[in-house]
Order: sequence, then structure tokens, then C-alpha cells
Amino acid sequence: MASATDSRYGQKESSDQNFDYMFKILIIGNSSVGKTSFLFRYADDSFTPAFVSTVGIDFKVKTIYRNDKRIKLQIWDTAGQERYRTITTAYYRGAMGFILMYDITNEESFNAVQDWSTQIKTYSWDNAQVLLVGNKCDMEDERVVSSERGRQLADHLGFEFFEASAKDNINVKQTFERLVDVICEKMSESLDTADPAVTGAKQGPQLTDQQAPPHQDCAC
Amino acid sequence: MAHEVNLHSLQESERETILQVLYRDREIQNVEEERIRKLKTHLQHLRWRGRKNVSQEYKEKSCARCQRALGFLLNRGAVCQGCSHRVCAECRVFLRSARAWKCTVCFEDRNVKIKTGEWFFEERAKKFPAGGKHETAGAKLLQSYQKLSKISVVPPTPPPLSESQCSGSPSRLQELGQFKGFNKSVENLFLSVTTHMKKLSKSQNDMSSDKQQPATGPRQSAGQTERRSQSDTAINVATRKVSTPDLLKPLAQESPKRTTSPVLKQEDRLSSPAPTPLFSGGWRHGSLISINSTCTEMGNFDNTHVTGEIEFAIRYCFRAHSLEICIQACKNLAYGEEKKKKCNPYVKTYLLPDRSSQGKRKTGVQKNTVEPTFQETLKYQVEPAQLGTRQLQVSVWHLGTLARRAFLGEVIVPLATWDFEDSATQSFRWYPLRAKEKCEDSVPPSNGELAVRAKLVLPTEPRKPPEAQGGTGDQPSQNGQLCLVVLGAKNLPVRPDGTLNSFVKGCLTLPDQQRLRLKSPVLKKQACPQWKHSFVFKGVTPSQLRQSSLELTVWDQATFGVSDRLLGGARLGSKDEPAAGADACPQSKLQWQKVLSSPNLWTDLTLTLH
Repeated sequence: MASATDSRYGQKESSDQNFDYMFKILIIGNSSVGKTSFLFRYADDSFTPAFVSTVGIDFKVKTIYRNDKRIKLQIWDTAGQERYRTITTAYYRGAMGFILMYDITNEESFNAVQDWSTQIKTYSWDNAQVLLVGNKCDMEDERVVSSERGRQLADHLGFEFFEASAKDNINVKQTFERLVDVICEKMSESLDTADPAVTGAKQGPQLTDQQAPPHQDCAC
Repeated sequence: MAHEVNLHSLQESERETILQVLYRDREIQNVEEERIRKLKTHLQHLRWRGRKNVSQEYKEKSCARCQRALGFLLNRGAVCQGCSHRVCAECRVFLRSARAWKCTVCFEDRNVKIKTGEWFFEERAKKFPAGGKHETAGAKLLQSYQKLSKISVVPPTPPPLSESQCSGSPSRLQELGQFKGFNKSVENLFLSVTTHMKKLSKSQNDMSSDKQQPATGPRQSAGQTERRSQSDTAINVATRKVSTPDLLKPLAQESPKRTTSPVLKQEDRLSSPAPTPLFSGGWRHGSLISINSTCTEMGNFDNTHVTGEIEFAIRYCFRAHSLEICIQACKNLAYGEEKKKKCNPYVKTYLLPDRSSQGKRKTGVQKNTVEPTFQETLKYQVEPAQLGTRQLQVSVWHLGTLARRAFLGEVIVPLATWDFEDSATQSFRWYPLRAKEKCEDSVPPSNGELAVRAKLVLPTEPRKPPEAQGGTGDQPSQNGQLCLVVLGAKNLPVRPDGTLNSFVKGCLTLPDQQRLRLKSPVLKKQACPQWKHSFVFKGVTPSQLRQSSLELTVWDQATFGVSDRLLGGARLGSKDEPAAGADACPQSKLQWQKVLSSPNLWTDLTLTLH
């Protein structure tokens, strides 16, 4: 990867303090499902068909304007390969939200979603917000995972669902913006149940109901 | 996290790639840390302003935020759900979604929690109560890198991590500190030891107390008269918790000092991994905040156009050494909030160059007027000889809702040319208000100059082959030294009596966020101290130094158990935090590069303190 340009980009963005708050987002999923492409499309609006495997971790920074607030996103791109797993899982704990990605032309990557979700439950905080994304939806001819199966799995896991294409720039921006909104909702929720008795009571059931988290209606 | 990240499985090139990402991330963290610090300072300031004085009885009915008297029938005030303080109608902020309201401070507290991400850390701590609250994966990885670089020196098979640590690190306390199951009792032990040390050092007029100042100070002085809610103190507690490992440092450094050697041993610290970088910067999160006055000094205020005049008189009583500024009135002020035509003016003075909070005097706030009458006298105790070196700064401010301030204008009177004996100069006069000078806004004011001599000492003998390096504690790859001689300082912001009990702290922050700290002895009763004290930072390589930053700060030692006063500081180093970029002027940058590029030669530097 062109690391020189990357770091310049990062520096320019990093010195900018003109934002209201910062969210950290992690993109996970099997190798070659298109995590890096997805991020590059979002942050740089660029796409290269060549496959370059991510080494360990990388990130990009993008500041967006959402709900009257400037939000700086630090979006972490993880290596899908198993051998980097100890490094990538270390980053789960700092992430407020996740994009869990599979490739609609790759059955195996879809089957692994359940395992990735378990990883999130293990290593991340309890209110971690997850969006399930089926990438490469431009390759309709090679599709092996139907939209319906993707949606069902997302419902089952309590995640929101998008099909997207980094190549054709479909649903990329929407995915990130939806994730930001959901994190915002969680944030208000956590702050406005200020009474410790209330939060304490809420804590119990939330820990157990992993199958059906509350439905999220946008009220942010 | 319960596991160490094992970097051995990675190839060298992969490690290098990841390291670059880690460095990039750390830069972002540094900026974020700086931003959070400002936010918290702002909140802290709000709290202090709203704090009831110990002398003030709680039953005296007044708004806890603006201190305005509350009535018995009208404007009785109501109790804020957040902090249980009674506040007047104007100090309430209604939340968007609900009918509920919070007082200005609780509302700001909520805002700060959002902006700093504290809400997330709190939520996360519910699931991982053991882990460091603000710990980041990047910081942990950098630690692993550090260990790796140490172990890879040992030839055939690297021993397990735990073993190598036990043999390599003589500092048991520190080992405990970074042990995974760093439990409550150990934490308490540290705290009690530190408190104990603090007591000891108080009696010696020592300076270790500033580490705890921000957390304990305001709460202690708030006294028993004030009830504080959870939300009111949450952030303080958090800051303190996280900085706990840092408390070890004063301990580790204090003991050798108590013997005789002023130059502290640093080898021990090198072998132990760095604490979590976020919030571990003791002095920056400590005294700088508590001492430096208010958010307004950090440029955190609204600018309005400046109109109007201020009337005041200046008198000096030679017998009592007392300078009195009688603030009479203002007229034709600009509105602090132009749109709403609102203006709540007050007047603030400093005797420049001293901008510390001790040198600040303020009048009360007049509500809703652009023609306020103050009739208040602000007093300073100043030696006659000192007067000539000072400038009186009289500034007018608007206090808005949520304690947002707007600058309404200022007058600067150089006292050097002031004839205090002429009674004509003692009468009231109108002075036109002026805008702040541009240069003052962009460049922080100078607090004097520090003369330093620096040299990078590198071994002259040829390097031994790496095979011969194992085993001994003296690692050839790290045996460079940075030698500094702190010569002296001048033009420091002195006390009213014209003297200082000053000392210098040096802090070298290595690329892995490890901090090496040294301190000079205290020179008493001198305005232009000449310490001629040498700092030696051992075991640093030139490549490390190029990515390190060196901070030199000059302090005035506290007298009555208050915290030491920061007089000014300067930072050197190529890896400047972007936010603090103003610290390093191009000239000192060049000088610093000269030090690094010409080893074994002395370079003289004159640093401007900010």
C-alpha cells in the first residue's frame, strides 16, 4: 500500500482539532471480502481492483457533519487473516461500533459471520453497535448469498443490515452514517439514564439477551 | 486485555508496517488528549466558579452557579437533579428531548462526557472493570514492541517474557504496577504511600504534591459544606485513577534525591515498560491546569468588536506596599451577545507579565447592562521596586450562559512611567477600551528565557558485534546520553516581592511514550536564578531522540502547602504534538537539531518560556 501518502493524509487530518467528538469504528470480516476497499471508497472515494492483503491493522480518519455535530471518525481496517488475530482483537475494546463484512459471492465468508459476532461479544463492550454488510453487490452474476439470508442472519444477531459495493459506491456512505447514528443513540441512552439505580437495573437483562437487542428506530 | 500481543510470529517488514500505523495513531491520540484536556479544564473552571466558599454558609440562600441571592417567594430557585444544588431560573438548561433540566454545570458535564468520549469509557468499564479505563490497543502494542526490541538482542531462543522481566528489572514496585491483575489493595498501597510521601515532602517544601493537586485540590477545599453528586466528581476520579501508575514516578525519583545526588538514576526506569500514554502526562494534566488561569487565557472565548470606555483610578500605598485599582464604571460597552443584546460585564486585572491565577483580580458581574457601575477596589501586594517592571492589564469581559465569555476590551497601563507620588495621577480617569493585540493572540506571551547548554554524548569506541551484547545490563545500543546544563533563567514572572524559589524540571518523552524526568535543586530568593545544574538522560539513542520531545519547565516552589507555580516551559523535539506547535519556535528547533546532529559537542540554547 502507498504508505507514504497514507501517513501524510493521516497527519493532515490528525492535526485538525475542529470537531465535536471522535468515534472509533472497526471493520472486520474474512480476508478478501473488501474491507480495505470499502474504507478507501468512503475515506478517499477511490477504488482499485487489485487485492493487497492488509498487514495487521491500518486506519483512516474522516470528519463528517452529522446531526449538527462535527464527528471525527477513526476507522480501523483490520487484516482478515487468522495470523493477525491477536493484534486485531486487541482493537475491539476501543471500538464504539463495528462493520462486520462478508462477500456475497463467497459462502465461506458468510458462514464466518457468526464467529465474528462471537468475537465482538467477547472482546468488545456490551453495547457495541454492529452493522452487517454484504459487500460486492455489484457482482450479481456471482452471487451465492441471497439478500434474504443476509437479512435473516442480521435479524437473528440483532444487527442492522446493508448490501453494499465499494466498487460501484453503493451504500458505502449510508453504512457509515447509519452506524454513526446508532452510536449516537447509544450515547444519549447511556447519558440520560443518569440515575444509577436505573442503569444498574438495565444492566442485568442487557447482558443476557444476546439474541434480540432492542429495535433501533432513528431518533438521533 | 488478558493476553500479550505476540509479535514474534510476524516478519520484520510486517512489524515495521504496523509500527508506522501505531505512530500515526499515537499522533491522533496526542491531539485528542490535548483536546480533552482543554475541555476538562473548561469544566473544572466552571465548577470552581460555582463553588461555594467555605466561609459562605450553605443556608445563605443563593444560586449555586451564579451566586445570585434567591428570594423567599419569588425566584426561589430549584434543586438540580444532577448535583442537588439549588440554582436560579437562569442557570438551568432544558434538555431537548425531555421536560427535565440540568443546571449549567451538570449540563456542561454531560457535554464534556460526550465530547471526551468519557461516556464510552464508563460504559466499557462496566464490562472490563479491571482494565485501564483509557487504555488503548495502540499503546499496548507499542509496549510489546519495546519488549520485543529488548529480547531480540539475546541470541538463540528468547526466554519467556515474565522471566526476562524479573531478571532484567530491579524495580519491583513498577513491575507490580503494570502487572495484569493490578488489584485494589496494591493500588491503595500506592496511594497511601504517596500520601505519606506527600506529607513528608510538605515539611521539606518539596514538590511532589503537584501530581495530586488537580484531583484532590478542589475537592478538599470545597469542604464539608458542599454535597457533590456522582456526576459532579466522576471525571476527577477518572483522571486520578488513570494517573495512579504515574504516582510511582515521584516515588522512584524522590528517594535518591533525599540522599544527596542531584542527578537521578535512570537505568531502572528504562527497563520497565511505559505507562499508558493517555492521561499519564503528570505535569500537563496536573498543575498546568490548576495554576494557569481559566479558559479565557487559552483563547477559549468569543470575540466581539470593542467599543466604549472604562473608568478607574490607580493608587499605591507606599507604607502598606499595596497597589489599589479602583474600578468605577464602564460606558458604551459592546454587547457580549450581539444578537440577543445581552451583556453581563465584569472586570479582570493582571499585573503582567504574571498571568497566573494568583495574579488575577476580578470584580463582580453586573447583569444586563452596557453601562455597568462597579465601584470595586482590586488590590495587589507589590514591592515598590517591582512596580516598574509590571504592566497593569485591565480587561472587560462578558459572562454568558454556560459560562461562555466574550472579550469586551482592555487597557494596558505600563507602571514603569507611572508617578505614584503625584496625587493628580490618583484620580479617576476614563480610558478607551482596545482590542487585544494580534500578536498576543497568536503567540503565547513570553514568561522569560531559559539558558541551556546541551550535548549528545555517543560512545567513541567502535560498536561491538551484537552477539557480545547479551546478558549485561549495559546495552550498547542504548548507551548514548543526552547531557543538559541548565544555566539560568531571566525575566521570569516573579512574585510580588521580586523573588522566586525556582527550580527546573526536565522531561524527556521517548517515542514509546516513556518519560524520563529530572529535577534541579531549588534556588531560593532569586529573581534571575543561575542553577548551573546538569541533567543527564542516559541510555538514549540518536534515533530515539529524533522522535522524542524534551520539555523543560521552570517552577516556583510553593510556600504554604499550595501547589508549585508553573512559571513557564519550553519544548524541544522534532516530534511535536501538532496542537502544541506554538511551543517550538523555529529558532530553538534549529538549535535542537544542531544538538542532535553534532554529537559530543556543546550547543548553547536560549529558550523562550511560555
